[in-house]
Amino acid sequence: MKNRLRVLRAELAWSQADLAQRLGVSRQTVNAIETGKYDPSLPLAFSLARTFKRQIEEIFEAEARRA
Amino acid sequence: MTEQTPNPNPADVPVDPPFTHSASPFIRTEAPAPVAFDSRPNQTPTAPIYSTWVTYRAQIEFGLTMLAYLMVLVGSVTVLQANPEASWRYYVAVLPLIPAGLVIWLFMRSLARLDESQKRIQVQAFGFALGATALLTFGYGFLEGAGMPHLSWTYVLPLIAVLWALGAAVFKWRHR
Repeated sequence: MKNRLRVLRAELAWSQADLAQRLGVSRQTVNAIETGKYDPSLPLAFSLARTFKRQIEEIFEAEARRA
Repeated sequence: MTEQTPNPNPADVPVDPPFTHSASPFIRTEAPAPVAFDSRPNQTPTAPIYSTWVTYRAQIEFGLTMLAYLMVLVGSVTVLQANPEASWRYYVAVLPLIPAGLVIWLFMRSLARLDESQKRIQVQAFGFALGATALLTFGYGFLEGAGMPHLSWTYVLPLIAVLWALGAAVFKWRHR
């Protein structure tokens, strides 16, 4: 799943550790989400949306379904 | 009749200063735009006295419990060697299970404190350790049938631990 986490975080000049502290997860988890190696659970996705004051769809974009 | 001023000499025209504050080119003339979000989360000041305990609490607890396990194990073996025929020898033999149970409890507690992606890494590592241990022990069982020397069951737990650590390192590296 694609996401705009790195861009949104850069806009606010937050480090991965800053965001991780706000979300209550490890910095490695933030990095794994940003690099697309891990898709967050629904509660964590909502936490991200609340943290960035955006809709989930503005942060995450589902990959196109293969035919 | 109007007077016409002659074209001034370009060398005499004052040059515009490149900065609004000629004394210091680094002084900002405009304040940065206000940010809708608050700044970085409040960083708690580091307390050197407590930081080691806070940061490495789980590791320290785990290390102390493992130390307790080894001490009880050595004591148990020593007592059993000195009293091989005692009626209470079975109780002494299983005494190391008490600190070992404490180790397992600490381990489960640290697992419960992991976040979701770290738990996923651990599940993958446990899956790898389980499968690889099954494969290796089963394989050696066949080799024993073919004449290889019998190995004690006590090797199984260290094998699981080593394979779990290996799996955790590999899956953690893949999630970087």
